[in-house]
Amino acid sequence: MTKPDSNNDGTVQVNSISASETRATGSKFVIGGIAAVVLILLITAVVMFANLPDANTFNARVEQIFVANDDFTSQAELKLLEILAQSGTAFSDTIASYQVLIYVLLVFASALLIAAITFLVMLVQFNRRMGQIERKGIEVNSLLISRDQNTVYLNNFEFKLTEAAIETLSVLAEARMDDDVLSGAEIEAVISGRNASDCDEAAGATRIKRLRDTLGNQMVSELLVKNIARRGYMLAIDKDVIRMV
Amino acid sequence: MKHAISFILFLMASAAQADCYADYKAKQDSPLRLQYGVARIDGPCTAAQAEAELSPRLESAGWVLLNVMDVFDETGLEQRRDSAGEFYLRF
Repeated sequence: MTKPDSNNDGTVQVNSISASETRATGSKFVIGGIAAVVLILLITAVVMFANLPDANTFNARVEQIFVANDDFTSQAELKLLEILAQSGTAFSDTIASYQVLIYVLLVFASALLIAAITFLVMLVQFNRRMGQIERKGIEVNSLLISRDQNTVYLNNFEFKLTEAAIETLSVLAEARMDDDVLSGAEIEAVISGRNASDCDEAAGATRIKRLRDTLGNQMVSELLVKNIARRGYMLAIDKDVIRMV
Repeated sequence: MKHAISFILFLMASAAQADCYADYKAKQDSPLRLQYGVARIDGPCTAAQAEAELSPRLESAGWVLLNVMDVFDETGLEQRRDSAGEFYLRF
């Protein structure tokens, strides 16, 4: 069991070994894969173009026939032989064009392969990131304060707060937007509308404590200790993640 | 006597000047063109001589001599006239 590093650790257990392993081998895998694809493509291209029949092989064969047979002397026969050579050349041109076509298809296929590898790697990275997020516990990516309903929405969770707690949370949220840090006295001053020097530090601390109590209580009951109406209580987690030391 | 000498001279001359001809095969590349031709040979009437003479002659017209088939005198000309066509005694 890994060392707990946040308040609800041990409830969400993530296999951190596999994540770091995939990261280490991931980049090597990608580079090797892409290099292999390019290498295979190059070899295929070289072999294919090396085996391209030369247009002159047909001509050379016709010429050989012409020399070897003394009977081929009349004009008509010579014309026929020339046409034979031309049709052979035309055929080899056709093969050359097919080869270009095949090569284009090969390039296309390897591009798809590279894209597939890239997506695979992206998937691995997303998985790793998901693992990190899960380990971190709750990560707030939206905070919506509804003052007239005394409700705050953290991500998709809805929490009902008291009017005073909403007031405190609003003050903290506004301060956060200005990148300010407020002392207890300042919080009390903003809420009560008095001068900060006239306010008690303990009053602000009390407001913070009440906010923490109500919000923390609801969050734990939402995320961890569920209350099932008229039946009782249970942990709202997967039973596979529970371990005892 | 004088007539006899001139007759002998005439005979010798005609023997020396008995024309020699050769038929040959030649080609041009890209596109391949083939030629069967008949040509007059100036030197001794042998296939080797015909080859030596014809090769540069054809070369200057852009043809490559493939082989010399035969050498013959004018008696063999007529039967080859049709086959040689436009290349009859051209080179």
